[in-house]
Amino acid sequence: MERRFSVRETLETVSDLTPEQLDRYIRAGVVQPVQSQDGPLFREIDIARLSLIVDLAEGYHLNDEAMALVMSLLDQLHGLHGDMRALLDAVAQEPPETRARLSHTIHEVRVILRR
Amino acid sequence: MASDPNDPYKALGLTKSASQADIKKAYRKIAKTDHPDLNPDPAAAERFKAASAAYDLLKDPEQRARYDRGEVDASGQERPQQRHYYRDYAQAGDNPYRQQGGFDDFSDVFSDLFGQRAQSRRGAHSFDMRGPDQRFTLEIDFMTAARGGSTRITMPDGNTLEVKIPEGARDGQTIRLRGKGGPGMGEGGPGDALLTLTVAEDPEWRRDGDDVEITLPITIDEAVLGGKVEVPTIDGPVMVTIPQGASSGRKLRLKGRGIKGPGARRGDQHVVLRIVMPPQIDEDLARFFREWRESHAYDPHRRT
Repeated sequence: MERRFSVRETLETVSDLTPEQLDRYIRAGVVQPVQSQDGPLFREIDIARLSLIVDLAEGYHLNDEAMALVMSLLDQLHGLHGDMRALLDAVAQEPPETRARLSHTIHEVRVILRR
Repeated sequence: MASDPNDPYKALGLTKSASQADIKKAYRKIAKTDHPDLNPDPAAAERFKAASAAYDLLKDPEQRARYDRGEVDASGQERPQQRHYYRDYAQAGDNPYRQQGGFDDFSDVFSDLFGQRAQSRRGAHSFDMRGPDQRFTLEIDFMTAARGGSTRITMPDGNTLEVKIPEGARDGQTIRLRGKGGPGMGEGGPGDALLTLTVAEDPEWRRDGDDVEITLPITIDEAVLGGKVEVPTIDGPVMVTIPQGASSGRKLRLKGRGIKGPGARRGDQHVVLRIVMPPQIDEDLARFFREWRESHAYDPHRRT
């Protein structure tokens, strides 16, 4: 089963993260731990997200609102990236004629129309 | 040490004389430009990886001094597990942080693919807009899921909320709390809070749909002679008859003791028997079996 981190374990794992900072990010909804009878629990995705947030906060001095915006944009970007890869994988399994037709249509829409 | 290919000072663009503040500043600068979550260039990812390993080694003055004296080397100090970047999780189709607003399950790209673009691109013409739905994940234990119950959760804004868990709740099930989501605009009401349930694994109970299973340890004499033993169920302990000569692994079925499924029918509980030897094999037991073996040996491989 995937590991869950308590608040204390999270603070130990993510270097340079303070308890006040973590509390603020939870309130701002920037990080959304899993709720449980034993209080908030952090998944591995939350730990990776918090490490990135600390890097961003220290590097760019983002306030909590700006952080929420940046993370939402990053989620969209990463998500689209994943979708695109899935789509390309699906297209790669199609027969060559289908791929050629798709490539032709994409060329028309993306390259010719937008020029 | 100067020729060390993993020289952490070099990874940060510094020399040994750098101050602790310099080290932090240099790492932060590299994180700013080369973070793999912000910069897709593989070379940038390499620079970031080297810099973060170096920072891990040098950020603690004591550890840094040990490295400078040659007591630890740079490679030996690398984290045992490689750091996972956020993008590794966020690119997955089920990134919980991406599912806010928009479509329930399909992302934009796939909805377009299925020709839903026309309906989906409704703009916000009006200033009265219903607030966004907010998604949360709620982890509950096996018994709460099986019996139902209520649990308190803390919303991101600090408010606590009482959530009723229905009897027979299953993994992945969503509970909708009307009006507990984000605030609306203008005349629009608030959105809903959507709680996705995760049922935590239980050390004792296993669940397969509406059926549940536990392992019941029994004594060697109960296995031979049979008898009544107490078995935990979702509704509390019940007495169950162990048949004479039960083997380990034998399954007893308690009908209707499982989880309440759709249509209010309950699944079954399976009890898997496991014979446990006494903590010590005393002389009585050993003597009995020595004699018994003389005349009653059997081959468990051939038994049907």
